[in-house]
Amino acid sequence: MTGRFSLVTVTLWLLSAVVIGAMILGSVLTLAEGRFTVTQWRDLVINGVALGAVYALIALGYTLVYGILFMINFAHGEVFMAGAFTAYFAADFLAEQGLIESNPILALAIVFAVAMLTSMVVAVLLERIAYRKLRNAPRLVPLITAIGASLFLQYAFRGLYGSGVRSYPNVPALDGTLDIAGIPFRATQVMVILSAIALMAGLWYLINRTKTGRAMRAVSEDRETAALMGINVDRVIVRTFAIGGLLAGAAGVLYALIFSQVFFLMGFIPGIKAFTAAVLGGIGNIAGAMLGGFALGILEQVGPNLFLSGYGVPGANQLRDGIAFAVLVIVLIIRPTGILGRKES
Amino acid sequence: MNRDGMLSAVRVGAIAGICMVFAITIGFVEAVSRREVLRDVLPLSTVLLLIVGVITGVLAVRTSTRGPEPTMGAALPRGVIAGAVAGAIIAAYALLAESVDLRAVFTNLSPSAIETVTFDQGIGVGALILVIGGAALGALGAILRLLPPLPTRMVIAAGLTVVVLSIMEQVFRVMLSELGLGAVGSLFYSSGALTLLGALIIAVVTAALVWLARARRSPVRAQLARVTGRPDRRTSLLLYVLVGAALLILPQIVGRFPSDVLGTAGLYILLGLGLNIVVGYAGLLDLGYVAFYAIGSYSIAMLTSPQSFLALELNFWLVLPLVILLAAIAGIVIGAPVLRLRGDYLAIVTLGFGEIVRLLFLSDWLKEFTNAGQGILGIPPPTLPGLEFPGRDPQEIYYPILLACVLAAIVAYRLANSRVGRAWNAMREDESVAEATGINTTNYKLLAFALGAVFGCLSGALFAAKIGSIFPHSFEILVSITALAVIILGGMGSIPGVIVGGLVLVGLPEFLREFDEYRLLVYGAVLVAMMLLRPEGLVPSATRQRELHEADDPDDQYDADAGAETGEPVITGARA
Repeated sequence: MTGRFSLVTVTLWLLSAVVIGAMILGSVLTLAEGRFTVTQWRDLVINGVALGAVYALIALGYTLVYGILFMINFAHGEVFMAGAFTAYFAADFLAEQGLIESNPILALAIVFAVAMLTSMVVAVLLERIAYRKLRNAPRLVPLITAIGASLFLQYAFRGLYGSGVRSYPNVPALDGTLDIAGIPFRATQVMVILSAIALMAGLWYLINRTKTGRAMRAVSEDRETAALMGINVDRVIVRTFAIGGLLAGAAGVLYALIFSQVFFLMGFIPGIKAFTAAVLGGIGNIAGAMLGGFALGILEQVGPNLFLSGYGVPGANQLRDGIAFAVLVIVLIIRPTGILGRKES
Repeated sequence: MNRDGMLSAVRVGAIAGICMVFAITIGFVEAVSRREVLRDVLPLSTVLLLIVGVITGVLAVRTSTRGPEPTMGAALPRGVIAGAVAGAIIAAYALLAESVDLRAVFTNLSPSAIETVTFDQGIGVGALILVIGGAALGALGAILRLLPPLPTRMVIAAGLTVVVLSIMEQVFRVMLSELGLGAVGSLFYSSGALTLLGALIIAVVTAALVWLARARRSPVRAQLARVTGRPDRRTSLLLYVLVGAALLILPQIVGRFPSDVLGTAGLYILLGLGLNIVVGYAGLLDLGYVAFYAIGSYSIAMLTSPQSFLALELNFWLVLPLVILLAAIAGIVIGAPVLRLRGDYLAIVTLGFGEIVRLLFLSDWLKEFTNAGQGILGIPPPTLPGLEFPGRDPQEIYYPILLACVLAAIVAYRLANSRVGRAWNAMREDESVAEATGINTTNYKLLAFALGAVFGCLSGALFAAKIGSIFPHSFEILVSITALAVIILGGMGSIPGVIVGGLVLVGLPEFLREFDEYRLLVYGAVLVAMMLLRPEGLVPSATRQRELHEADDPDDQYDADAGAETGEPVITGARA
């Protein structure tokens, strides 16, 4: 930018300094009071990592699309919802058949497949119907379209599956805890974290070691030149949306395993938070999205208790979503390119 | 007839059929079937089927033509095929729904919806009607497409007028009886729908009017162009006086319920006018606009309600200046942190602010001040000091809302055509260039935020006074999105557009209570469809129209100039 110190810049820095100072003071107060035990903090961090894994998977969808089209796919949270909500019916059916008890691995694989395929189809249709025509439109146009698509998908799925909250069936195999290095983890959390890591490793392989991945990187670097080199840009974009959709669908099932409830508005808040995670890590940067996801998950679990309860704020956890947004604002003010992003030229 | 034409006709038909299947599955068709357009003859669901059929025919002809207009011989079969395919898909779905229980998953798919689309004739005869009817409607669509514009326009106008007049039965019936024409009312309307005779008269009269207007069309347009170019003061003054008088007596003629609807629509028009300054003029997509609406509502509630912690019980008009001042400050406070953000980041951050404001009003932390989830009750109506007038009665509260809308529209209009408006325009087109030409973008952005906040707060204040009790749940993100949809439908940057948008998107659905739950679905579809088909809106401002069609070259997606010309910033940032 301009590099001079205007009044606004100084004010913003001061504002951020005040907020961060307040956070530190709050943490010190909380810790001094000894309100929470070490075990409680540890559990909050573990919860945060599990939740962060889900955010990271959704954030990857934002970041992949942003890396190629430079647009925020605002409806990505709904892609996530579509998978989780549809897979509920598969899970419910399998629970009725007893497959979840007799063969949980196969059953979960089916549920994942249903969710991932649904989300993929929704993401690809979204690109085809809503976004493709607008690739060269002024910046606000695709964003408004995405907002409209988000609203449309929410209420379309409410129309299809009803407005009630559905509960995923319990998976007996995931009850109980596992001791890893002396720390008891809930089996669900282990499963969530491991599957997320496996998917991210798969994505890393796809991007860095396959032809499709190379094409995606090329298009993201320079769409025009990539087209001149014989890359079918349309196909790469469709594949990008498809991959984002697959990851979001998997994230949907993981989210449902943690919270066990799905309904038509469930995608909105996780979607915004995953976007925050993507920005936190540096939007367009794949490793950044993963890092941002975990960071935000932990921050959100630990943050309200750490920063606010020291001041005696009642019901600090009600302000959890507020923390995520505050993080977003502060990151964008201090370092708009995120933790791992390059400096903007 | 070529193969490509056939294939594309089949495709159009399939898409139309799938859309209808979707509408049936989500329960939309059933909801629509509860409303009658013509008494005992024509439910709205049938009208929907008719419209979809005709549109299918029109599209089947259109998509298959690049170049010269097709002949009737080529067009007709395409329309027939597309319509028949659409009908066949619906019929197949009806058969599927009869034989398999889909309701376990699709909760809104009721048997009566299937009966509706098969016209209560059973699946066999119903399927036959669907396919043959679809073919006939497709053919009609193809014919309409190829007819000269005048008859097409006559048919469309007649059909639309009949449907709208039927939906607005509550308004017109009351209006007629208020004017002492109750007998005419019962000639046209019977228990919530038009009579056959009434519909016929309306259709013929509308068609005739369109036909009559045909001759005068061009001179009127030319006159209008001259008027807008160099306004003839006396004519426009007369027009303003007439419109003003009509607006003043409107609630007395239309009755209580429509007045209430007008009031609600007015609140959203006010919101739209404010958001229009931020989004339409200054180009800052603010998705947290509901924050100002909430701040306006809560500040009025705290200052005027006996139940707030302040217990001041002041008069609405007394505290209004204070609220407006507060609004401007809130606008600057929320606007300042996002000044340096680029368009899409700005949208998400403001969305975050909107949510934070709602969470704060809802939280236990501020419970002493805001009552958290219990809200604030007992807010008095906006009576003038010492008077009983504007009470909470919809026919009275209409007036302060109207006043606010008129003032806001005048302010917005004057601003748009001032130095400030031009600065906003320049900023929206290209921020760097605007800055280079000496525009202080920081100040102008803050000004836009502050003004938008003032209108938003004003709307919120009136909302609180109108409803009398407010809860954090009234201030969801959907308010922002509705306001956005209002300005998008009408056209960004266009004041008449905001008014049209408010009336259509907020006013009209109040008369269609049967499918209230599909309102947001429709808003979403409207946002997408408008952006894809007509980004400048239904009633566009002249500048905006030119701006959006400058680089209209959809076929050449690698045209580097297209981005540069529309002022899209050169893409920078991280890569994957």
